[in-house]
Amino acid sequence: MPPAACTTARGARITTRPFGHIGLTQDTPSENLPGPWSRARGLDHEEAAPRPAPAPGFGERLTGDDPDVLRTSFIGRRLRLFWLVLKSGFLTVLTLGIYRFWMKTRIRRWFWSAIRPGGHPLEYVGDPFEKLLGFLFAVVILAFYIGIVNLLLMFVSFAVLNGNVAAYILSFVGVIPLWFFAQYRARRYVLARTRWRGLRFGLEPGAWGYAFRALGYWALTLLSGGLLWPLMTFRLEQYKSDRTFFGAARLRQGGRWTMLYGAMKPLFLGAGLGLAAAGMIALGFAGWGSTIALCAGLTLFYGLFHYRVESLKRLTATKRLAGARLELQARPWRILWITVFGYGLTALALLVPMVAIGIALSAMLGESVMTLSPQDLSLNDLGGAVLIALSLMLYFGVFLMWSAASHALVTVPTLQHYASGLVIRGAESLNGVHQRARDAHTEAEGFADALDVGASL
Amino acid sequence: MTGFTSAGEFLDGRTPTVRPSQASLDAARGMLIIACGDDTHEWPLDQIRAVPDQAGQDILVLRRADDPVERLILPDRALLSSLPKPYKRVRAVDGWRILRWASAALCSVALIIFVLVPVMADQLARFIPPEGERALGEVTLEQIRAALDETGMRPIPECRHPEGRAVLDSMIARLTRNSDPLPEITVHVLDHELVNAFALPGGHVVLFEGLIDTAERPEELAAVIAHEIGHVVSRDPTRHALRSAGSIGVLGLIFGDFAGGALVLFLAERLIDAHYSQDAEAAADAFAQEMLIRAEVRPDALADMFERFRAMGGDAEGIVAHFMAHPTLGDRIENARGATPPGFPETRLMNEDDWQTLRRICR
Ligand SMILES: [Zn+2]
Repeated sequence: MPPAACTTARGARITTRPFGHIGLTQDTPSENLPGPWSRARGLDHEEAAPRPAPAPGFGERLTGDDPDVLRTSFIGRRLRLFWLVLKSGFLTVLTLGIYRFWMKTRIRRWFWSAIRPGGHPLEYVGDPFEKLLGFLFAVVILAFYIGIVNLLLMFVSFAVLNGNVAAYILSFVGVIPLWFFAQYRARRYVLARTRWRGLRFGLEPGAWGYAFRALGYWALTLLSGGLLWPLMTFRLEQYKSDRTFFGAARLRQGGRWTMLYGAMKPLFLGAGLGLAAAGMIALGFAGWGSTIALCAGLTLFYGLFHYRVESLKRLTATKRLAGARLELQARPWRILWITVFGYGLTALALLVPMVAIGIALSAMLGESVMTLSPQDLSLNDLGGAVLIALSLMLYFGVFLMWSAASHALVTVPTLQHYASGLVIRGAESLNGVHQRARDAHTEAEGFADALDVGASL
Repeated sequence: MTGFTSAGEFLDGRTPTVRPSQASLDAARGMLIIACGDDTHEWPLDQIRAVPDQAGQDILVLRRADDPVERLILPDRALLSSLPKPYKRVRAVDGWRILRWASAALCSVALIIFVLVPVMADQLARFIPPEGERALGEVTLEQIRAALDETGMRPIPECRHPEGRAVLDSMIARLTRNSDPLPEITVHVLDHELVNAFALPGGHVVLFEGLIDTAERPEELAAVIAHEIGHVVSRDPTRHALRSAGSIGVLGLIFGDFAGGALVLFLAERLIDAHYSQDAEAAADAFAQEMLIRAEVRPDALADMFERFRAMGGDAEGIVAHFMAHPTLGDRIENARGATPPGFPETRLMNEDDWQTLRRICR
């Protein structure tokens, strides 16, 4: 950061160190910390009480001695997010799904603001009305496609192929290119609505190019039995990275695709063990064979996490942005643990709505057996209505609890682990970057929303 | 709160440089003065918005409603109480534009569901070969059996008691013996208390046990079966299946994943309450009357069955859509009563023993 400090009214020189506190302790109140921001809140006596000279070092704990190296912190309490998701999910149910655009926006704002590279939070400026508009736009186009194509596929599969499975496969295959297209468009929208230190991110148009490349590389990966997976990972990441901007500065993906083979070691080990197990079973050693097969399964499971994390680290380390370099420290075991443990806890949390509804149900059934006679049709109808209401409540209760708990117990710690391992080196060079123009992106992420393109964020 | 002043960080939105600044409140002018080196920025208090839904409650991020990029970051949230409208929405999209697109979306969905899909379904239904229709019907039957199951463990069973089945088969043979050539008809009985019957593509006619229990004479049951065969002959279920394939996809698109999930489940159950047009119902009634007469059964059996449904009132859930809800049910009863030619011989479809055997088909 440049020494562009300005002199305050009182003449105290404020360092350019940003505030924010280091990483993993969540929700530490900042007023207890020393530093330029530790001024007391007694504002009324501002003039009378001489302010303590700001002690340098508060920001330094985050940035270190070198302003050229920015570390990233993650600030945010899971419980707050849990309530935010639960509350907005409830409103989504009440509004027959319309509030989902607000829900998504608010959750993203929360997550973005929790991530503070160099102490400064990211900001998500997407607007729910904009998303609603994009969705309406997508409906106009996709309703036609989905209505007519579904009908035609159903017809073709029964008229020609005599089966429903064929229709599902056909409609699935038909949607795949659209799915990649929507994924890229959604990424473009999200980046265009992301800011850091006042500058917009951006992604150049190129959704069809991405969709065709993704299809091609997927085909190569499948045909090669997974051996060319690193090629796909690298080329697709490169396609996206090289079109990504921070302000006017273009991100560049360096390195070679072969560097990702190192990340596949556990997968190769798992595959080898799997072959060995198959051989043993074929030779009649079923006991040993199945033990090794179990090991192979566990190794492959870990291997997926290992590949995901290690390839991300390697890809991040070879990115360049206007002379700045990125670095990601993350541990596959940690991500594996967060996923397994987090989803385990989430599953336990689902018991809450289930037990509550179960109690209500058994109370109701017990009562109806005692007080309602079978002839009493109107009361029976009432019972039926209550039963339907309870099962709807169960459905939505489980759904809400699932999304709230998995956000709080899986997404937060995962993002926290990745964010707190992100380091920007050569950050001084970013100061020369300029703002980029706004990307209007009318359709927002309407296609992605309509086609339900994976990403939970 | 006069005399507020605080250090802050100013982002001008042109470069990523974080500029330390001093923010002070000028309550008299309603301004926040941001002094930053040589420049001073004046932000009207009523234009200042807090950036919402922030995870870190340790700092306060402020923006101007009328400037998209400038930001002021304060180290604590004390200023918030002095801002008149910190959470007023910053308008990003024109309301009329949303309204225009919303009506466009509504029109296109209505056009697709109510015009395009039905027209295409009616046209295409003619070209599905019989084997294709049968496959479609079988798949739909499996879906309905699974959807009606309340335990969630297994689809509701079909009743196949051999003696009852034999009686049912001979009744159908008698019904269809003298009729014009028919597509292959398969009658299924499902072990469920719903008082309902419906036809599926490919000549599948489905009866629920509740319907067999409600019918007091075999002729009444035969009348319902004949009515459903009437739907089969005019391919109503095939058209209906094609329509719902198109419409369900569109509705799922609109309501998104979780409200949509419930809605699609709901619609799948509604599949059995086939809402055919009044013309289609009248045609099926006419077909049934003709078929009953050729089988030497008085066609007013259909009227008796309708009246039984009407008497059941609210309890006749499944049947409501199919027979009851029509405003013209009275007409249909009258029509069936009048269909009996004068001097029509009264013959029984089966003897009492066989009828009782048929009624035990699910036991
Ligand atoms: Zn009918």
